[in-house]
Amino acid sequence: MPVIEVTNLHKEYGRVTAVDDVSFAVEPGEIFGILGPNGAGKTTTVECISGLRAPDGGSVRVLGLNPVADRDELHQTVGVQLQEAGLPDKLKVHEVMRLYASFYRDPADVDGLLRRLGLAGKADARYKKLSGGQKQRLAIALALIGNPRVVILDELTTGLDPHARRETWGLVEQVRAAGVTVLLVTHFMEEAERLCDRLALIDRGRVVAVDTPAGLAERTGAGQRMRFRPSVPIEDAELLALPEVDSVTRHGAQFELSGNAQLTQAVTALLARRQIVAEGLRVEQASLDDAFITLTAAKEN
Amino acid sequence: MTAMTVNAAAPAHARRRLTAQGFRALVGMHLKLMRREPGVFVMIVLPVVLLIIFGVIPGTKTPEADLGGRSVLDVYLPTVAAMVPLMVACTGLPSAMASFRERNTLRRFSVSPVPPGGMLAALVAVLSVFAALGVLLILLLGTLVFGAKTPSNIGAVVSSFVLGFTAVIAIGMIPAAIATSNSMANGMGIPFMILNFFFAGLYVPIAQMPHVMQTIGEYVPFGAVMDAWSGTGALWQHLAVLAGYTVLGGVASAKLFRWE
Repeated sequence: MPVIEVTNLHKEYGRVTAVDDVSFAVEPGEIFGILGPNGAGKTTTVECISGLRAPDGGSVRVLGLNPVADRDELHQTVGVQLQEAGLPDKLKVHEVMRLYASFYRDPADVDGLLRRLGLAGKADARYKKLSGGQKQRLAIALALIGNPRVVILDELTTGLDPHARRETWGLVEQVRAAGVTVLLVTHFMEEAERLCDRLALIDRGRVVAVDTPAGLAERTGAGQRMRFRPSVPIEDAELLALPEVDSVTRHGAQFELSGNAQLTQAVTALLARRQIVAEGLRVEQASLDDAFITLTAAKEN
Repeated sequence: MTAMTVNAAAPAHARRRLTAQGFRALVGMHLKLMRREPGVFVMIVLPVVLLIIFGVIPGTKTPEADLGGRSVLDVYLPTVAAMVPLMVACTGLPSAMASFRERNTLRRFSVSPVPPGGMLAALVAVLSVFAALGVLLILLLGTLVFGAKTPSNIGAVVSSFVLGFTAVIAIGMIPAAIATSNSMANGMGIPFMILNFFFAGLYVPIAQMPHVMQTIGEYVPFGAVMDAWSGTGALWQHLAVLAGYTVLGGVASAKLFRWE
């Protein structure tokens, strides 16, 4: 049974449709990503799943619960980290943790959790004094304090420097390794690619695609692109003769080739047969980035 | 002392699925935040200083004919005492809620098992105890140290102070329900506070106000409380006025309340 099941979710604010028609299901133990441009309806979707907003249409089930009607029970078993949710500046880290721990039936050990999140040294620091990365780690700690079965993380790494971002990704992987299902909202491709088992790509309130990051990348149909300088001159025609090659462009001594997913394999095999070394070889895969642009732009027409 | 009061208050909120333990933790949080925000204590220090000044000025303790045979200190004691609940309800509560709202703290609470209403309940509980202690301190200082007359009907005074505080807390709940910044909260709360200060006789003793002003004052929360203290007019009427404000504030703030 899916942990989170969203079916034809619809939500409007006045005349503005924030979420038009969103459906997806999150399976136990996976890191499921919701990816989409700003204003696509990601946060509203998450707010409906977290019980903060009542949907105008469709249904949402989390661990079999209705998030709005069973809100109290939901928050015992689902940890939520919200975008833009603050804490009083003058509370200390361990005070915040103990405060939240007291709300749950079966709270996690505060000191252990702080250690796991690298905040043990900051236990006595006031919230105001924490860096952006530390605040985010505390937000994760608070999402985990109730020993949840599911955590929802909204724009977890927005505003973090690359180092803190990588650290945070490591934490998310740890959380999943502990058997917690993760719903991750992001607009960073790299984050989605690195962390998510599956992704729902949302654009203008609708689901454009649900797939693995690699699966989404393949959908764009874009193959590979490679660049190199051959150690010995080679004719364009010889390269174009390979069925895997679509086009050859020269920039001085440099060749730029595009073709299907087997392009690199075919070309390197040819060069090896001819005993040509490909100097400065670079290969570009169709990425999630391309998929994102292609899939969200496709709807514009 | 505070902790005891808190324990007693907890079961009343258990119905809201807020555990006694969670409520205690929230009360602890508010107490810590209060201690770290020393500005809060101005709400008690200011009236105490005012009372001490009145108490040491010679001549404030002699009965005066135009104050109905009471001394200046007798007249001002309840007025000064009223400053505490008025400041707590009209500025303390709204600005605390506004800053929680401004920082999205309420949003954070709303995804925990504690209903954000629990946090509000804990805040009101802490502020109520704070205001009660402030009033008690000022009244004891005024009567025991400076020798002001104790009111004849203690029951009327206690019930009117309690109802008066409830009424202004309910009214203060309106800015607390909607203000998104400290200045917005104060902009709404302070005029109401000044109005109450005025009709509680802080600027001009009630006895020296024109008759029409005295009549208006009966319909202002702390004007009614002062009348109940001095035994002017029908007690039931004053209590009804206070209950009316409580209902008005309660209904309006419940309708307007927003967590974000």
